[in-house]
Amino acid sequence: MLQPLAVALPVGYIVAALLHGMAFGGTRAPHVTRERVWVLRLTLAAHMLWFWALAETLQSFPVVDIASTVSAVVLVSALMYGLLARSVKHAGSGGVVLGLAALLQLSASAFVNLHPLPRLAAPTAPLGPTQIVHVSLSVVATASLLLSGVHGTLYLVLFRLMKRRNFGPVFEHLPDLDLLARLTRGAALVGFLCLTIGMNLGIYLAHSEQRPGFNYRETEVVLSILTWLYFGVIAFSKRIPGFTARRASMAAAVGLSVLLLSTFLLFFPRLAFHSNL
Amino acid sequence: MDSKVSLALIGLSHRTAPLGTRERYVVSQSDLPEVLRALKQVEGIEEVCVISTCNRTEVLVIGRKGTDLPAHVRAQLFRNLPDEQVYAYEDVHALIHLFRVAAGLDSVVIGESEILGQMKRGMEAALAGGTLGSVLKPLMQQALHVGKRVRSETEVGQGTLSVARVGIDMAERVFGRFGSVRVLIAGAGETGVLVARHLKEKGVADLVFTNRTLERAAQAAAEFGGRAFALTELPALTQKSDLLVACIEAEHPTIDVDCFDARSLRRRDRPLLVIDLSVPRAVAPEVAKLDNLILYDLDVLQEVVQKNLAERNEATDSTASILVGELHKFLALRTYASFSPAIAQMRERFEKARDEVLDHVAGAKSSPETVRLAHELTKKQLDIALDSMKQGARHTRSEESLSDEYRRFLENL
Repeated sequence: MLQPLAVALPVGYIVAALLHGMAFGGTRAPHVTRERVWVLRLTLAAHMLWFWALAETLQSFPVVDIASTVSAVVLVSALMYGLLARSVKHAGSGGVVLGLAALLQLSASAFVNLHPLPRLAAPTAPLGPTQIVHVSLSVVATASLLLSGVHGTLYLVLFRLMKRRNFGPVFEHLPDLDLLARLTRGAALVGFLCLTIGMNLGIYLAHSEQRPGFNYRETEVVLSILTWLYFGVIAFSKRIPGFTARRASMAAAVGLSVLLLSTFLLFFPRLAFHSNL
Repeated sequence: MDSKVSLALIGLSHRTAPLGTRERYVVSQSDLPEVLRALKQVEGIEEVCVISTCNRTEVLVIGRKGTDLPAHVRAQLFRNLPDEQVYAYEDVHALIHLFRVAAGLDSVVIGESEILGQMKRGMEAALAGGTLGSVLKPLMQQALHVGKRVRSETEVGQGTLSVARVGIDMAERVFGRFGSVRVLIAGAGETGVLVARHLKEKGVADLVFTNRTLERAAQAAAEFGGRAFALTELPALTQKSDLLVACIEAEHPTIDVDCFDARSLRRRDRPLLVIDLSVPRAVAPEVAKLDNLILYDLDVLQEVVQKNLAERNEATDSTASILVGELHKFLALRTYASFSPAIAQMRERFEKARDEVLDHVAGAKSSPETVRLAHELTKKQLDIALDSMKQGARHTRSEESLSDEYRRFLENL
């Protein structure tokens, strides 16, 4: 089941992204509200099933290597997007969020380790509850930052369209500027809070279990601290004089680019986090 | 339709009669009961409903088959009018026309939704006057349903066609909700007041008026619960506003780059949206170049109106399938309803046959179990027979033939 689902998941996200993005096709685009909701629900259900099957196969918490972490980020960001779209009653950013999710899942499915004896991914001992919370919070934080970056980018796109008086389907179907600004900062705040707890738990774990390989100059640790600081500034930017919604959006968009680049260039080639531990 | 009755729709509209004629034939809400009563008394008319707006006066009647309904209605309501100004549709064409009217496809502004309210009022008046019956009541209800479906499932009712409203739609794309939006209206004339009214409906709480004469600004502010300032204070006011609507009458732009503080504009969280509804322009075009400011003038808004209008016209094609589907549904229901005497007769015969068989086979010794079984069996058989009749009713008029009819109707418009 793992292999077919690994192939099916990116397809599911691609179809969901296409259905969500259909509104941008203008007046001639078919109305697919019900279909897009169901495709997303089915894809999310399949994704959860995949993680359950992976956990069964590995006999451990299924987020063990870079690929499965990226996949978990995809699942959480798609879930968070679904909840957000429901609460704000607007699905305008779905095409982009799910498009990015599809791209990430495609990479995750290509690299994920589906074997009971992982190459080097799974830690020798199964993860304890604190470690699971640390990993889960890091995943939620990354998903939030991803959403913050996407909404920030969309803010910039919409602002540009407004300034240039380009009132096409993209202008019509994106959420309003205020909402995009709120989503950018709100998602950054969730990410910041999760990262605060997740990072502290990680530091606590490193010290309490006296892991000899741990040091603060490790790439993951340095990047996490920088990300934490960066998105913290975005989350509280409304209180910083001169840090306008547009600047916050620009910062979130840059943050997203860095996050994606670091995932693809730094982490994917290494297969696992904290591999020196 | 029922084979014993026929349906006709007789009327005049903006397509056939000039405004002067339409005005003379408007049936006011107060006159409606009297007109309905008079029409109901006409020989052969069984049910009647009148839809009257400034653009159309139409009479929908159900009468005995063979009655010349259009002639009777014309004689009663549209006397002395030239033939080309009055139209009459019968049976399926009357249904098509009614559904098109409800869908806003026959309106001056395609897709406008006021017609639904006007039809509803016509229906309520006919209900109150007792002139709606078993055919027209479900028909009017279905027409209203068609109107709502077309507007929700197609683009026909989408897109605003008033420049002031388009301006507010634009503001909605920036701010979403208006509760926390600080609005400054420059010019408290007719347009300014109209915009204020629209914005108030949208939930704007913080409304500031500025005008050359402070008195007028104060009047408007009092009407909408806002604050009033002289036009000279505009530069200071722009710093505390999120939306500036300019409706100023002046030969040259009154609001130029100097009215805005570029530094504070760059530092504000939300962009400042400036909507210029003035003719000629009250806001200098260079203002659009300022950072964190979005400017829309009348030309831009007019373009949006034209685009919306074109989209509505384009969307009319996509309404055909909805209209034909609903037409098919209505006709099937009517055909099935016309079977009711036969159904009652059939039920009676089934039950009589069941009782005879029960008497013949078991007589007085029939157990409650046997009786229940016989009742269940009869009910099942009757359900099967009724289901076949329903299927038959559905196939009396195929959707394809109605589609052709719809095409022919459009060709004759």
